[in-house]
Amino acid sequence: MSTSDITRPDSAPTGRVLRHKLIDRIYHWLMAISVVILMVTAFLPILGWKFEWLDLHWITGVVLTLAVLFHIIRAIGWQDFWAMFLSGRDLRDIMGSSKPGKYTPAQKLYHLGVSLLILAAIATGLLMLLKIDTPWWRRDPYWFSDTQWGVIYAIHGFAAMALVTMVMIHIYFALRPDEWRLTRSMFRGWITSKEYLDHHDSKRWKAKEDA
Amino acid sequence: MQFFRHANSIYGGSDVIIGASYDLLVWFVAAGAAFILMHAVFMAVTKTGERASH
Repeated sequence: MSTSDITRPDSAPTGRVLRHKLIDRIYHWLMAISVVILMVTAFLPILGWKFEWLDLHWITGVVLTLAVLFHIIRAIGWQDFWAMFLSGRDLRDIMGSSKPGKYTPAQKLYHLGVSLLILAAIATGLLMLLKIDTPWWRRDPYWFSDTQWGVIYAIHGFAAMALVTMVMIHIYFALRPDEWRLTRSMFRGWITSKEYLDHHDSKRWKAKEDA
Repeated sequence: MQFFRHANSIYGGSDVIIGASYDLLVWFVAAGAAFILMHAVFMAVTKTGERASH
């Protein structure tokens, strides 16, 4: 894989720019599959489709927890951690027409919302594991009072229902033709150099060419 | 419409929260659908406006 600087004046805008590494795409799709399984096992029984959902739900929740932990560690140690955080410049960009870096202010805002909801669901879900038998521990529901358990379940439920809204919006944007380059990049890793130069400020996202 | 599910406490009949009300699920779905619809209409209208001005 070539790593020549696409922003150099002698760099032809005909190649491809790496947007998501394979490891990050695997994480994204593992998280997506986990969230879909969690929603199906959570909401179908509520809607009347009865099946043995609990084991699949909590095991998938543990997989999601490990995946998110991996993502956080990777974002801190191996990625540009602040690239996904809203800054004062992002807020000014919303009003103006300047190009964003790797992520738009709307994408950062969406990521912030999903992060808070996923972390709330994970934190409360891990506590709810205390109420079931697993291969590693016996259930012990006496850690919390009835009222405290009610709050934990309420947060878990609100976060899960809000994630339904967020997933709908995410899929909508992924399917919009004007966003297909981003959807393609989540499958294949790259956007074209032209898309990079058209949609991003090369000073704010110093991408490398992907041969 | 209720925001929470309630039950009687096993220790004395007082009403305790046991979780979020699943009646709200349809509202969360409706919120997503409303956002998608508004965004799609906004994008279609602004694109039409841009074409007309050229």
